[in-house]
Amino acid sequence: MREDIHATVEIVGPEGVPLSFPRATLAERFVAFALDLVILVSSASLVLLLFLLAGLGVGSLAVVGVGLVFMFLIRHFYFIAFETHWHGSTPGKRLMNLRVVARDGAGLGTDAVVARNLMRDLEIFVPLAIVANPEQVFGPGPWWLLAPTVIWLSVMALMPLLSRDRSRLGDLVGGTRVVRIPIAELPPDEAARSSQPRQSRRADTLAFSVAQLSFYGERELETLAELMRKADQGKATDDDLRVVAQTIADKVGFDGPLPARRPARFLRAFYKAQRAHLERELLFGKRKASKFDEG
Amino acid sequence: MEPRSVAFRREREGQWFELELLVDKALRGGLRSLEPAELHRLPILYRVALSSLSVARRTAMDRALLSYLEALAARAYLAVYGARRSTRGALRRTLFATFPQRVRALLPELVLATGLVALGTIVAVALMASEPGWYDAFVDPALAGGRDPHASTETLRAALYGGGEQGEGLAFFASFLFVHNAGIGLLCFSLGFAAGIPTALLLFTNGLMLGAFIQLYAERGLLFELGGWLLPHGIPEIGAVILCGAAGLHLGRAVLLPGRRTVRSALAWAGRRGSTVVLGSILLFAIAGLVEGIFRQAVTDDLVRYALAAFNLAWFVPWLALAGRSEGAS
Repeated sequence: MREDIHATVEIVGPEGVPLSFPRATLAERFVAFALDLVILVSSASLVLLLFLLAGLGVGSLAVVGVGLVFMFLIRHFYFIAFETHWHGSTPGKRLMNLRVVARDGAGLGTDAVVARNLMRDLEIFVPLAIVANPEQVFGPGPWWLLAPTVIWLSVMALMPLLSRDRSRLGDLVGGTRVVRIPIAELPPDEAARSSQPRQSRRADTLAFSVAQLSFYGERELETLAELMRKADQGKATDDDLRVVAQTIADKVGFDGPLPARRPARFLRAFYKAQRAHLERELLFGKRKASKFDEG
Repeated sequence: MEPRSVAFRREREGQWFELELLVDKALRGGLRSLEPAELHRLPILYRVALSSLSVARRTAMDRALLSYLEALAARAYLAVYGARRSTRGALRRTLFATFPQRVRALLPELVLATGLVALGTIVAVALMASEPGWYDAFVDPALAGGRDPHASTETLRAALYGGGEQGEGLAFFASFLFVHNAGIGLLCFSLGFAAGIPTALLLFTNGLMLGAFIQLYAERGLLFELGGWLLPHGIPEIGAVILCGAAGLHLGRAVLLPGRRTVRSALAWAGRRGSTVVLGSILLFAIAGLVEGIFRQAVTDDLVRYALAAFNLAWFVPWLALAGRSEGAS
């Protein structure tokens, strides 16, 4: 099954501004869970081993009993303790850059964390125990009781695959979502730089008429910005720019030798003028998505 | 002529970058890693970023800028609202206000859960009275430990006084009981997701087991002695099972009858309320385990046992019924 890796989760915070987070993919969540499981199982076994040895050393069964309680606490409170104290992440989630957030946008409360992790037992550990040893879990039950139980348990365990937004059972019961922490990177603004060479004192003006600027829309503007960013990084040659500059000049009816002679300068000037024009139009509530958008 | 968004960005960039640094720090080391001055700046800069984002969404034609602001605001949200910070006295408030309040809010489910246990008890008593062979169907032989209708009255009586575990064994027994019973309690809650049916079954079968024991001992005229054995730990333990069961039934109700809400929001609501109840119940299971494993094995006097039962009743009921009434519901 293919999963949309660009799916987003929208959360409206207390300020009322909708925020969009990249949704954690099932693969990421699985890796995070596997890491946590390794830590959980190894620490629980270590604790049990230590207490067993200590109990044998002292010759006291009581010490083993304390170890038993510790195991219970680790098994049920590993996720709860980390998610409440580490702002909705566990060691595994932290490694994968994942966070648990409350669906309603309020802060992630302890009750939500507890609820989502209480269900984990039923989703993972009970099915595992059944697969490992069905006799012990069910005992001698009749088939008409076993069949629905197995079906129902598998539906619960497979909930992340079945639910529309890839929520597991615990997320439904806790009212939570798992998101990836987005990366914030701000490239230099292409329109903030002058289209003139550095030494030049000439004003940065190439005049375009409103008619010339009414041809393209937001999509073409964005494509142009990407091209210029590529040129800055040296990933686009002057020839590439020349082709684009010539095409634009032809389309909007711009006469003169500039597009062919100094394509970079022409494109930058056009980008600035085009963006200023579209933003001005936007102030009047007119949006032009692309050149096919008649507004 | 310069696009408006260029000036917009130039004027605010500094604050965005300042926020970026704070957020990086907070996401790495938590809010605790921030200096007091930074902690003061964070929410202010977060709101600046939100307002920049709202403006940019409506006016900016620069997608790089927009996606930067989207990501920055989302990161800042995680840093600011990642977790509800616990305030002073959170544990005290949870134990003595939130937990009892949420228990009381589950009243209909509590009645139903209690009714299911009682029904199981009555059914077992009635069936056992007519045919003692039913006992084996209700009680797992592994848990019965030789206490069955074929055992002599003396054996049954001996099982009530000194289960054989002495000294060191008691603490182990107590922790084993706690782990076993708390595990059942947790299952009672999570199984409630399937429309509450498995939870109802679990409550009913627990009642069956209880009824079978009662009838087994009642037949031999040992009911009073059984009471002394059962009640001191039974009050917190059966109470905790009923509480977890009620929380599970509440989940089931959210699935079946979400009312005006969507199933999704009803489930989240029920899950969050129920989880507090389950958390409190784990404490009750721990108390019950201590009483059952240590006190009951060490004290064999019926009257002292009844005294402890009365004591347990005296804190258990008022705690759940009265605590936190004066504080606002949460």
